[in-house]
Amino acid sequence: MDALLAQHLLNWLVLGSIYTLIALGFSLLFGVLDVIHFSHGDVSMAAPFVALAAIQAVTAWAVPLTGTGALLLAILISMAAIGFLGVVLEWLVMRRFRAAPAMMALVATVALGTVIRELIRTLYPQGSNPKPFPAITTEVIRLGDIVVPVFSLIVIAVSISTVIALFALLNHTRVGVRIRAVAEDRAVARLMAIRPNRIFAVTFFIASAVGAVGAVFFVSHAGVVRFDYGVQLGLIGFSAAVIGGLGSMQGAILGSLLIAGIDTLVQIGVPDGASYRLVFIFALVIAVLVLKPSGILGKPVFEKV
Amino acid sequence: MADITQATPGLLNRNGASANLAIVAGVELGSAILLRAFLLSDETAVIVALLALMGAIFAALQLRPVLEERIVAAFHDRKRFATLLGIVIVLACPFFLQGSGYAFHLLIVSMLYAVLALALNFQLGSANIPNFATGASYGIGAYTSALLALNFGVSFWLTLPVAAVVATAFGFLLGFPSMRTKESYLALVTIAFGIVAHQLLNNFDWTGGPNGLVGIPAPELFGHSFARPIEAFGFRLPSQANFYYLSAALVGLSIVSAKRLHESRVGLAWNALRADPLAARCQGIDVVWYKMLAFGVDAFLAAFAGTIYAFYVSYISPDNFTFLVSVTIMTMVIVGGMDNTLGVIIGAFFLTMLPEKLRIFSDYRLLFVGVVVILFLILRPQGLFPQRARNYGGKR
Amino acid sequence: MTPLLEVRGLTIRFGGLVAVSEVDLALNPSEVLCIIGPNGAGKSTLFNMISGIYRPSAGTVHLDGRDITGWPAHRIAAAGVARTFQSSRLFNDLTLIDNVVIGMHTRTKSGVLDALLRPRRARAELEAAAEKAGELIRAISPDLHARRNTLAGALPQADRRRLEIARALASEPRVIMLDEPSSGMDDRDTDALMADVRRVMAERPGLSFLIIEHDMRLVAALPDRVAVIDYGRKIAEGDFAEVRLMPRVQEAYLGHKAAEHA
Repeated sequence: MDALLAQHLLNWLVLGSIYTLIALGFSLLFGVLDVIHFSHGDVSMAAPFVALAAIQAVTAWAVPLTGTGALLLAILISMAAIGFLGVVLEWLVMRRFRAAPAMMALVATVALGTVIRELIRTLYPQGSNPKPFPAITTEVIRLGDIVVPVFSLIVIAVSISTVIALFALLNHTRVGVRIRAVAEDRAVARLMAIRPNRIFAVTFFIASAVGAVGAVFFVSHAGVVRFDYGVQLGLIGFSAAVIGGLGSMQGAILGSLLIAGIDTLVQIGVPDGASYRLVFIFALVIAVLVLKPSGILGKPVFEKV
Repeated sequence: MADITQATPGLLNRNGASANLAIVAGVELGSAILLRAFLLSDETAVIVALLALMGAIFAALQLRPVLEERIVAAFHDRKRFATLLGIVIVLACPFFLQGSGYAFHLLIVSMLYAVLALALNFQLGSANIPNFATGASYGIGAYTSALLALNFGVSFWLTLPVAAVVATAFGFLLGFPSMRTKESYLALVTIAFGIVAHQLLNNFDWTGGPNGLVGIPAPELFGHSFARPIEAFGFRLPSQANFYYLSAALVGLSIVSAKRLHESRVGLAWNALRADPLAARCQGIDVVWYKMLAFGVDAFLAAFAGTIYAFYVSYISPDNFTFLVSVTIMTMVIVGGMDNTLGVIIGAFFLTMLPEKLRIFSDYRLLFVGVVVILFLILRPQGLFPQRARNYGGKR
Repeated sequence: MTPLLEVRGLTIRFGGLVAVSEVDLALNPSEVLCIIGPNGAGKSTLFNMISGIYRPSAGTVHLDGRDITGWPAHRIAAAGVARTFQSSRLFNDLTLIDNVVIGMHTRTKSGVLDALLRPRRARAELEAAAEKAGELIRAISPDLHARRNTLAGALPQADRRRLEIARALASEPRVIMLDEPSSGMDDRDTDALMADVRRVMAERPGLSFLIIEHDMRLVAALPDRVAVIDYGRKIAEGDFAEVRLMPRVQEAYLGHKAAEHA
């Protein structure tokens, strides 16, 4: 295979994997909340900061850790931390809006996103400045002419495992069945002695933790992180989930691959592509929604008339 | 046949006209004084005290709905007087601002945002269409008029209608894909549109790219340039006063439009559309047309606001019209009270002035505003001033 | 005499499922036709096709000789077909009177330019509509009329139904379709409903009724004719007294074995 083509394909898959991780969170949350959780991107973006802080803290207190191992540990810590952050936010804020009209909840999540962003900016030292984020690994594998960064393989592998794990969770475990029940019909689920509070907590934990991984990969890929990166990443992840069809896991993957595809193509094919990538991405979003208003794999809700 | 409003008729008869006059005057003048104090003070203590006072007043209204009803009844009874007094206060306000350019600036920006919020209210408040692209309509209006003025020397007054038409055309363009999409999907379409517009404005050379357009000339009216101060009644008002009156006029126009549309067949159709689109269709309401109309009306007014802004600041850039700006406007409508004109205006003023006044807290102000909004939505989800029922019958 | 409303061969398929198949109906002016049949037989779906919410897969609908098949719902409403819903779809956050005034949407015409530039005229039209709406509500019950400025969402079930009927009548329709108007009502409310329907019939002589019903007291008393739908097909039509004795009809309601014993 042509080395350059392989490079582009790999890029596409990496980007697609990252977006999938974020989109999955949006879809999962939408399934149980029925509302777009706009702060998901910002919450996820807290993870790289937690990871950076973790590395520095550990280095300051204990054995100075370096290398991939240290970074991976920090990432695991941040996953757990952000997972819990999601749970706390649900308990503190989102719970009040469970029965609220959609617009209300929407604006609440947007405001929440602003709060998270500002908290990151003010709590992290010199938060307004971009911070370098270390690459998880710079090793490469050579297959003939083709240079395959191990990082790309890690991202893709982790994404695939996450998707599989999520599917297994939702379809083959008791918790998963309960989540799907609450997503389908909250009132009835309560009648079946499923406690919504617990399910919401679990769902938020999973969604936030998965988002955390996505954000960390994104930031590692870019080499830098800033407190407001969550806005764009969130918007793209949200778009991927929507054009794939909200509430559908397969849709989230499909949408992510589509958007990543356009993203990559534009950067290759369009002169000065980097400035226009958002234009193409969101033009794609509009086009898909015009043709399929409920998303590609989304099921239009049939109301009983 | 005169039909009586929601307000308790007994109160009106018992207390009579003069009590109502006093109430209306008291509320309007009191609000004006409060606002002025808030605008002009610079010390943290005073600002916090004023905020606390406003909070207390508001809490009182919440706890004793009778008070609110009484005030509303008074305003209904003395509608003409209330309007006249309001106009007088607005006209006189500049003379009491101690020539503070900053105070003028805050008022002007608040008023422009009030117009934007009122524009969005047609869609969001009346018809429940989540439009995240108001910033784009605002921007398209601003850029159109600025480009016309800079490249073709068109006068401000002529650019106004042109910008409005262009923005409305884009509004309809946005309305089109929104036809079959609903709620969250619709929100995303509008977000996408806003981002595309923003990026294009950022990238094209002829729009000035990321640096935007500078040197937009000040408007002129009967030979008086808006860049020059106003001299009246022995006072000398800073040049911003020109734009103050212009913006106030626009706010007035918006209020009148909002009222006329709300209390019309169109407003009812929008409300029906919001409540139950299917049932609305079965009453003969062409849902597609009314949705498009909402997009158009929103864009039209937003363009006016954008044009005034462009000529006021004389410099615009794509960053004035981002997704976050649209979100801010949306927050104003929801916090102020959906489909309630007064609520929306107060929401706009509140959310514009608060972060500015909290400059004292400098770094933390956005954080604070975010927290305030969330608290607000939890404690008073219907907004500051929820929708009031329509009243039919009888002139007052 | 051409029937006012004529339905021929109306069919609709949802994916592989044929919900309504080859249904023929004819409704004359001033006539009352009741559609009965077991649950899930496709009666509401039939209504949805006639009122324009669903597009039929095959067949035609004619109103006064005009082909209205596949027309969008708002055009059909404007043409003179009004309907109510099984689950009383009122505009809950609007007042009773607003609800009925919206029902007059097709009989008023102020548009956006009228509202903005000729407010007095637009307002006058709306006030006139409100007066008529008030009368419509008062005709149902003075009690409802007294509460006409309260929100519709607060009404009890029986009142919701009647308000919905008032809203449907507001558009001065030629045909009014009622979808299970007595569902959820006890005997007393049903009697009141029947009285209301009779009163409306008396006040509006040319108006035709198409009613889906389950309550057999209503079905026995009100309509001129009855049509029975089962599994999406019309299996019988005629006078209720005759139709109820038909074995095919009994089978549809009671099941095969039970019908044998009936």
